[in-house]
Amino acid sequence: MAWVTWRQNRIQLLAGGALLMVVVLLALGTGPGIRDAFEQQNLSSCLPPATRSGCDIIVRHFQSEHDTLALVGRYLVFLPALIAAFVGAPLLARELEHGTYRLAWTQGVTRRRWLLSQTLLLSAATVAGALALSAIVTWWRLPFDRLEGRMSPSRFEIEGVVVPAYAVFALALGVFSGALLKRIVPAMTAALAAFVAVRLAVANFLRPRYMAPEHDTATGLTPNTHAHDWVLSNSLVDAVGRQISAARENLAIEHAQNAGVDAQEYLLSLGWRRAVSFQPADRFWTFQAIEAAIFVGLAALIVIATLRLVQRTPA
Amino acid sequence: MIEFHLDARSGVATYLQIVQQVKEALRLGLLDVGDQLPTVREVVADLAINPNTVAKAYRDLEREGLVAPRPGRGTFVVGSLAAPSLQHHEALRRELEQWLAAAIRAGLDEESIRALISTTLREALVRRVA
Amino acid sequence: MTAALETRALGKRFRRGWAVRDCTLSIPEQAIVGLAGPNGAGKSTLLALAVALLAPTEGEICVLGRDPWREPETLEDIGYVAQDAPLYRSFTVGETLDYARRMNARWDPEIAGRSVADVGPDRRVSALSAGERARLALAVALGKRPRLLLLDEPFARLDPRAGREFLQMLMDAVTEIGATVLVASHVVADIERIADHIVLLSEGRVRLEGDVERLLTSHRLLTGAGRPLGRIGGVDEIVRKRSSGRQMTLLARLSAPVVDPSWSVDEIGLEELLLAYMAPEQLPKRTTEKRRLRWHG
Repeated sequence: MAWVTWRQNRIQLLAGGALLMVVVLLALGTGPGIRDAFEQQNLSSCLPPATRSGCDIIVRHFQSEHDTLALVGRYLVFLPALIAAFVGAPLLARELEHGTYRLAWTQGVTRRRWLLSQTLLLSAATVAGALALSAIVTWWRLPFDRLEGRMSPSRFEIEGVVVPAYAVFALALGVFSGALLKRIVPAMTAALAAFVAVRLAVANFLRPRYMAPEHDTATGLTPNTHAHDWVLSNSLVDAVGRQISAARENLAIEHAQNAGVDAQEYLLSLGWRRAVSFQPADRFWTFQAIEAAIFVGLAALIVIATLRLVQRTPA
Repeated sequence: MIEFHLDARSGVATYLQIVQQVKEALRLGLLDVGDQLPTVREVVADLAINPNTVAKAYRDLEREGLVAPRPGRGTFVVGSLAAPSLQHHEALRRELEQWLAAAIRAGLDEESIRALISTTLREALVRRVA
Repeated sequence: MTAALETRALGKRFRRGWAVRDCTLSIPEQAIVGLAGPNGAGKSTLLALAVALLAPTEGEICVLGRDPWREPETLEDIGYVAQDAPLYRSFTVGETLDYARRMNARWDPEIAGRSVADVGPDRRVSALSAGERARLALAVALGKRPRLLLLDEPFARLDPRAGREFLQMLMDAVTEIGATVLVASHVVADIERIADHIVLLSEGRVRLEGDVERLLTSHRLLTGAGRPLGRIGGVDEIVRKRSSGRQMTLLARLSAPVVDPSWSVDEIGLEELLLAYMAPEQLPKRTTEKRRLRWHG
């Protein structure tokens, strides 16, 4: 089955390999330069929590100088979705749409073994590729991670063990979609849509709640730096800790202006402060593990469902 | 070695056609005692017919004492058909010539004569076997 | 001797209706069976049920003594070529045979290669002619030296020469491995050449089944003056009767030769016989037309 899996999916596997190569080359090409700049501009002294004056500007300058990374990083998030559409969905959909399942499923290799072997082999290749991708991106991003942390979504999602977890989930989802819809283009579209929906749902509704967020109230109106943490919300609270709505805030500012008093001082005098709820940076690996487990678990369930679906009549 | 041909639309059963072709070959001297008939597989591969059909034809010929199987080597001709003497042939030939002259006199063209001979012969063969 | 294929009251229902209904068959090993019937009769469905591509709605099917759904390893011994000979279009001929070799435990490259000996191994399936594709699909099925070979309308897209080549390859290989063969075709002439056994399906039901020679010798066409029909000596059942003016033609199944002088007795060809069993008298003209066998040539 290894040869069969390769022969039927070689275009996808080669394309995936090429894409990985591109990222690797980009990383190796720009990585050393970034590290040099980091040293030269003495950015290590700008790492939170210790900040010296002027760091702000230097850091922002550094970030914008090397924006290739930011650009590519944005697109890397889409790679697992491509796996769902281009590797997973066609597996069953093309056999069913072209009628070649009448050839593939009437041989000595049983239908179950055929599907399971291909899925496992492709999963192995996907996981390997995704791990490599995650590793190279993590290495590439190291200087930035030291400055910005990696808890926030755009960084969390392209490093660590979640990348292979997304990939294997995408594959399973694609295969299931193909089994359900039996036509290539609808299966690809549905797989893509479903993948994005689940990813967003987990990122927005589950991830903030993996562990109870921590809270921090500043002594003033400017929040304490949570540069490496994942800030979930940032609001104004009164002396008792109640959140203050924007309307109320505007009212107070107006009031201060009418009275001819400095707005900031006025708010401070009311006892108002900044409150932040966040997930601390040291929870990175815990969260990675939880999220990876969720996606791998979903993938396993979907594979079982696909096997069941395929055992019944395909037509 | 003899090569068989099958006329699918003649109305004569396939195995019969094979039997007839063997007998015809024997009569005409194309097959002699000791000659080997094509194997069942060879006939099947050539004509694309059921092997049982060939087996049946060979069995019929065996029953009539014309062929016999040699295990492991094939089916061989063991008998001969009383070849009509040349004289006998001559007499038939002259009769045929006379008949043909009569047919032409009656106004039949070549096509019609062939058709008449064909159908009459076919019916005669079928009746002989039935 | 176990039956190569056996069904008991087999039925398959789709949304649009019953494709196969109340089908009870027993096909002996090493028989070469023609599965005849018009398009839509249920032939493809029956074959698909035999290879577990479809599951029965009711009844049972037993292939080589086993249930193909419960024991999918049975497919190791079954060669199946679906309608239109499905193959992977981007594969070359060589890769297709390679594929088949890896998908089956038992593989004989010689017997597989014979069917496509004249086709270059590097040619892509998409570039092959209909005849070459059919022979390649056959090679894939034959390579595992199956005990049962199922072919669904293999001649459909073949010109006479390609059809003949296909038949030659088929019969040669089958003779060598002693397989049971079931060929579905709506063209009777193709079946007639090779089949020793026939099953006629029409509207999903078995209308006629049996050894070809026995069927042909037990049926006769009786022609005579049309008059009240009494009992005719030797006749078991009148399958169909047709009258035009003063003449009446009967298709009868006999248990003994008919000696009644008022009837002239003629043999019947296979195609005629099948047509007669396919067209039940009571049906209105409209549906009868749909069921007409396509004539060959």
